[in-house]
Amino acid sequence: MKLNNIIPILLTGFFLVSCQSFEDLQLDPNRPVQAEPSLILTAVEANAFSTVNAGAALASRQLIYTNSATDNQYYGWQRSGFGDYDQLRQILKLKDEADRTENNSYRALALFFQSYYIIKLTNTFGDIPFSTAVKGIEGDFSPIYDTQESIFVRVLQDLREANTLIGPDSGEILGDIIFNGDQDKWKRLINSFTLRVLMSLSIKENDTNLNIKSKFGEILNNPSIYPIMRNNADNGALRFLDLEGNRYPFFNSNELRTAYYMEMSFVDRLKQNRDPRLFIYADKTSNGRALADNNFDAYLGLGGAEPLADNTNQILLGNGSPIDSRYHSDPENQPSLLMGYSELAFTIAEAAARGWVNVDPEVYYKEGIRASMLFNELTDSDVDNYLNRESVQLQAGNAMRQILEEKHTSFFMNTGWEAFYNQRRTGIPAFSLSNQIINPEGIPKRWMYPQNEIQLNLKNMNEALQRQFGGEDDVNAVMWLLKP
Amino acid sequence: MAAWAIIQPKFLLAQTKVVSGQVSDDMGEPIPGVTVLVKNTATGVVSDINGKYSISIPDAFNILRFSYVGYLSIEETVGSRSQIDIQLFPDVTDLESVVVTALGVEKNVKSLGYAVQKVDGEKFTKAREPNLINSLTGQIAGLQVNNTTALFQDPVIRLRGAVPLIVIDGIPSTENDFWKINADDVESINVLKGATASALYGAIGRNGALMITTKRGDKGTKVEVNSSTMFQPSYLVIPEVQTAYGNGDNGQYAYIDGSGRGTEGFGWIWGPRLDVADPNTASGYVERPQYNSPIDPATGQRIPIPFISRGGNNIRNFFQRGMISSNNVNVTSGNDQGNFRISASHIYQKGLVPNTDLNNTSFSVAGGYKLSEKLNIDASLNYNRQYTDNFPETPYGPENYLYNLVLWTGPDVDVRDLRDYWVRGQEGFQQKHFNNSYYNNPYFQAYEYQRGYYKDNTFGQVKLDYKVSDDLMVTIRSGMNLYALDRTDKEPKSYVKYGRVSRGNFYIYNSAQINMNTDLIINYKKQISPNFAINANAGGSSRFIRFRSESLNTDGLAIPNFYNVANSEQPLSGTNRLTREQIQSVFGTVDFEFFNSVFLTASGRNDWVSTLPVNNNSFFYPSLTLAGILSDMISMPKPIDFVKVRAGWSRVSDGRISSNPYSHIQAYSPGVNWGGSPSLVFPAALINPDIKPETSDSYEIGLDTRFFGGKLGLDLTYFQIKDFNNLISVPVSQASGFTSRLENGAEFTRKGWELMLNTKPVSRKDFSWNIGLNLSTYKRILTESFDGSDRFGNIQVGERTDQLFSNSQYQRNSEGRLIIGQNGFPIRDPYQRSMGFQNPDYIFGIQNTFNHKQFQLGFSFDGRIGGTIYSQTHEKMWWGGTHPGTVNQFRDDANNGLRTYVADGVVVTGGSVNYDDFGNISEDTRTFAENETAVNYIAWNKTTLNAEYTHYFDASFIKLREISLTYQLPNKFLNKISVDAASVSLVGRNLMLWSNVENIDPDSGVDNLQAPSVRNIGFNINVTF
Repeated sequence: MKLNNIIPILLTGFFLVSCQSFEDLQLDPNRPVQAEPSLILTAVEANAFSTVNAGAALASRQLIYTNSATDNQYYGWQRSGFGDYDQLRQILKLKDEADRTENNSYRALALFFQSYYIIKLTNTFGDIPFSTAVKGIEGDFSPIYDTQESIFVRVLQDLREANTLIGPDSGEILGDIIFNGDQDKWKRLINSFTLRVLMSLSIKENDTNLNIKSKFGEILNNPSIYPIMRNNADNGALRFLDLEGNRYPFFNSNELRTAYYMEMSFVDRLKQNRDPRLFIYADKTSNGRALADNNFDAYLGLGGAEPLADNTNQILLGNGSPIDSRYHSDPENQPSLLMGYSELAFTIAEAAARGWVNVDPEVYYKEGIRASMLFNELTDSDVDNYLNRESVQLQAGNAMRQILEEKHTSFFMNTGWEAFYNQRRTGIPAFSLSNQIINPEGIPKRWMYPQNEIQLNLKNMNEALQRQFGGEDDVNAVMWLLKP
Repeated sequence: MAAWAIIQPKFLLAQTKVVSGQVSDDMGEPIPGVTVLVKNTATGVVSDINGKYSISIPDAFNILRFSYVGYLSIEETVGSRSQIDIQLFPDVTDLESVVVTALGVEKNVKSLGYAVQKVDGEKFTKAREPNLINSLTGQIAGLQVNNTTALFQDPVIRLRGAVPLIVIDGIPSTENDFWKINADDVESINVLKGATASALYGAIGRNGALMITTKRGDKGTKVEVNSSTMFQPSYLVIPEVQTAYGNGDNGQYAYIDGSGRGTEGFGWIWGPRLDVADPNTASGYVERPQYNSPIDPATGQRIPIPFISRGGNNIRNFFQRGMISSNNVNVTSGNDQGNFRISASHIYQKGLVPNTDLNNTSFSVAGGYKLSEKLNIDASLNYNRQYTDNFPETPYGPENYLYNLVLWTGPDVDVRDLRDYWVRGQEGFQQKHFNNSYYNNPYFQAYEYQRGYYKDNTFGQVKLDYKVSDDLMVTIRSGMNLYALDRTDKEPKSYVKYGRVSRGNFYIYNSAQINMNTDLIINYKKQISPNFAINANAGGSSRFIRFRSESLNTDGLAIPNFYNVANSEQPLSGTNRLTREQIQSVFGTVDFEFFNSVFLTASGRNDWVSTLPVNNNSFFYPSLTLAGILSDMISMPKPIDFVKVRAGWSRVSDGRISSNPYSHIQAYSPGVNWGGSPSLVFPAALINPDIKPETSDSYEIGLDTRFFGGKLGLDLTYFQIKDFNNLISVPVSQASGFTSRLENGAEFTRKGWELMLNTKPVSRKDFSWNIGLNLSTYKRILTESFDGSDRFGNIQVGERTDQLFSNSQYQRNSEGRLIIGQNGFPIRDPYQRSMGFQNPDYIFGIQNTFNHKQFQLGFSFDGRIGGTIYSQTHEKMWWGGTHPGTVNQFRDDANNGLRTYVADGVVVTGGSVNYDDFGNISEDTRTFAENETAVNYIAWNKTTLNAEYTHYFDASFIKLREISLTYQLPNKFLNKISVDAASVSLVGRNLMLWSNVENIDPDSGVDNLQAPSVRNIGFNINVTF
């Protein structure tokens, strides 16, 4: 064969060029561009119902931490973040997909979750972006801040609308890891949550514009229109599973195992009431190891405001109860509550004690205690024994303190920052302070806006600061919600 | 302007005269084969074996040009002389040599309008580094190599601040595997410094290129054996820790069960003093229950044993001496028709950590053959396998060896006592250690936690050159890079990871990539007149990459130490991925050469990419360069031999947003799977559907000079690169629902100087000394932000972009002193602060070579001046209690429960401070007094990580990088044993360090608790038969 003849063959041989159409290469085989609402809902729920927060337990004087002087325990925090807007983006997508599939149940859930996160954000900072927030897709990257008052007004409307939208015929809910698609239970959670929002405005109880007392009564007195939770089976609860990514968030956590101990005022109160939840919440001290599990003397708390070195010394000397081992060694432990029935019961008890509604506060107070104890897997007889104790009976003139202290106890390792926010609203129970506290003014009232807002949304943030606090971004500034 | 001004007459052969003479080198030895040319004619002769020549010169011509490869060309005006003896000087920077430029086009260095630098392959094979890139440290002006200290970790390379393209025999190798190229097979590396040089590669050539040319056979048959062994006999840098205090907290310690709780002190090294005498004990020392205490059979309690310093030498006792052994055999053969080379290599590296190593095996064949007068073929095929059953983790955390060995282990523990690493009776289930919550027994980690890595690389190319006519050539080249990687992680039960203890797991990760590249180039070359030549290329190129990966892992192991996914306790998890991308291109380039001294090159290329939306996926980039040899145009004063000026401009675009070719598509990502319910989340980055490619405009000017008969060469370059239309992730207010949006915008300017100096201070017959020096600077500045803003993130327009920001600093007054709060602790700063610049101000390298008879001695220094490094090692040593600085009275006081440490700082006594929006003080009426509040010294360090330090350090350093002494065995002796050449070298690398930061080697650029830096000393033997 002549060489010149094979050249063309060689040339074609080498041109083994893969020539795909550019259009084909624009399809990502790894990610979908459209989602079913059920797929979005699962992720939204898993996030919203994950409320176990050890930091909140430090700030609420339930736990102390021994590895360093933390901002939560010694009240030294400064800024918080806008991470919850990430969830609001998912919720926007949920709403879009609900509209696309014309499913009112998903629409109602989108409104509920939106309200939940907006309340969470405004509780943290004060005024926050809402009316023009989460409009990045439309090209708005500088949302204005809404006043806290207008935020609450709209959230209450939204929650009312959510209640109206959802019902037996509002459409199937798939991907629901909380209530398995039970519209009735969702309706009850939405209305119960509305009562929480109304109670969080208690300082504004005489504000005639808001009219929170009558709104509270309207819900409580019309169970056919506004059904609410009836028992722990209605709890807004995420159950943990012994599967990768689904376990109790502190499962196997070395920090929780070695550096979190019970706080003194909390332990002392439980001991004083001879509250058996102490045996569920805490482990015995090193020195008390030989005593029986249900011996109150085997438990000791350490002062949340005491110097770090003093607390660690006490532990090295064998004093100080660690948090109960189930919080770090049981992969399922207990469900995480967005809102539980016990919280609802205490909320109604408080409303009754304040004279907002005409029901017996003691009935709901005891309902709350029972629900909390049963949630913590105590037996009915344990509960009855406790409820029969003299000191546990609601006493005239002391009712508010008793209700809110029991509510504080029920929030242990659950329900996010509610224990702290209830205390911020009512001052109950008192949180200890000392010269170890980092913030010179004691317990901060809020968090500063995120650093990113300075760089990316300065004008709007400054406007909000000006109108609320005279321009200062200060952890001690008092937001609208807390101003009588 | 002589050559320019004269109008050349037609050839008149009527009258000629004859000139003869001898050409010799700088040492007076005759040089055969020198081309002697009558300038501006085609008339020329070659010098004979004695360097003698004789040439007839037409009358109209008067200049002779003497040139020889490796030597500086000389032009000599003949005048009336008939005898001209010439001395040629070696060209220390290969002025006349040919370098490989973009797309494999070979060009004369002299004609280039941009900066290139060539390093010969022989530099890499004597003093071996684990990979080729490490060996480039300090060799190239403008190339920064950050050498990592740990086994099998990639060095970080930056050429003019960006990662360059790697090209092997003309085929781009974009997966950037530095380990697959065997140094023994490398003929040379040409570094194309900037986009102007590599613009012909299109997008991937935007940041310059390292052009690696592999070896081919020569005429005749040769067998070469090259063997190197490098030992690691001592440490260059190692963290030094205190040995006075043991495990525990607040001066207390008693072992209970290894949980870390209670009297075990949570894992801190703030325990009691060691070696304290106690007359009441049998040992004479204070005794405490410890993890290795015997158990009293009567009580079941641990019997106290002396609490003494046993672990002062834990690092040296645990780490072994590493080594690198490289062996290569290659056979080359060739004749007029063709050549081939076959090479086989193995590199074995033993790690510092016991039971860790790395094997790297290569096999390659390469060759060329003249199929006909017109058709030439060249091909190479390389196979490389990198494999290890275990190599160590490096970042800070319980997977890092130093973390377990010194940072978080008190000196009361002797690591040798941990050699037997299972708890008796719980083999396979529970490692034996003094703390099972936070730390791993280093031996357990080395022998049970196994990270396997097995990678097969195949790469090669085939190239056909078809000479259509004398002027026209068609080249077609097709190449591929292919790899398959298998990784496995075996995680035993009780292995401690961050925050949790493993139930045992097995992780599998497999990936494979194929990368195909084909170029067709048509070359037209013509000397149109003696003073004008043209060289044009036109062609097309196609590139396709397919990548896939799968990962799979267990959730707990049912049977310990049985590493199979079938052994998973709970359902398996896994992911997989497939990506495909393509670039198709056409390009053209044309070189004009005037009077053999002015060179103008223009090029253009158009790419179509799959990584952008189809309507924006086509883009064009041009380049233009000019080089002029001034010394040929103007007569220069005597010491100046050669002056070239060059200038270049190019515009190169890139349409690849990230390593994911689908980054331009807005889509959902998988979210949590809750009990079998899968989910999707919408990502936080919003993508503008109209994004365009990003673009760099590069400008470069340079000066290339030779003085004193070639004894001194100096090359200076200034470059400026404007990166605009960047594909940037613009941070946005999170309240918009997104954290960022992908847009075109912002403008960055990169600029710097590069200086190369080569000199031969001594060049005598039996002794010569060569010095090569390079120095470079580089800065990147934000010159324009996005949407008219005057800042981009934390950076203000006009500022450098390599600032290191910290958001965990403490407030300071105008004198820089800490502001202390009422509790005696410093007050946190709510604003992010710039702690310095990451990049050095200068990078330099100096290479010295001495030749004396059969001996060659080389040594080189390099380093970086300026720049900042954040030392995690330093910070964590203060935090945990192991820093030697913590041995003081305050610590003893704290152990006794006393608060005696009064921090050096001030307290605010009145007034107030106002900040502007960015944390700059706008008004300050504060008054201060000295801090007087005493705190517990241990609490101070635990809470503030010792706020007296920021833990940011000056990263400047100078290193004695290499010393090598080579002895070339005399030929007389070798001939008797039929050996062509043989040499023995004694070599050392990484030998000495001068720096301002303790405990770490700043060469690595970052410190996440880096592995010890070691000296390498060894020998090399090279024999050619």
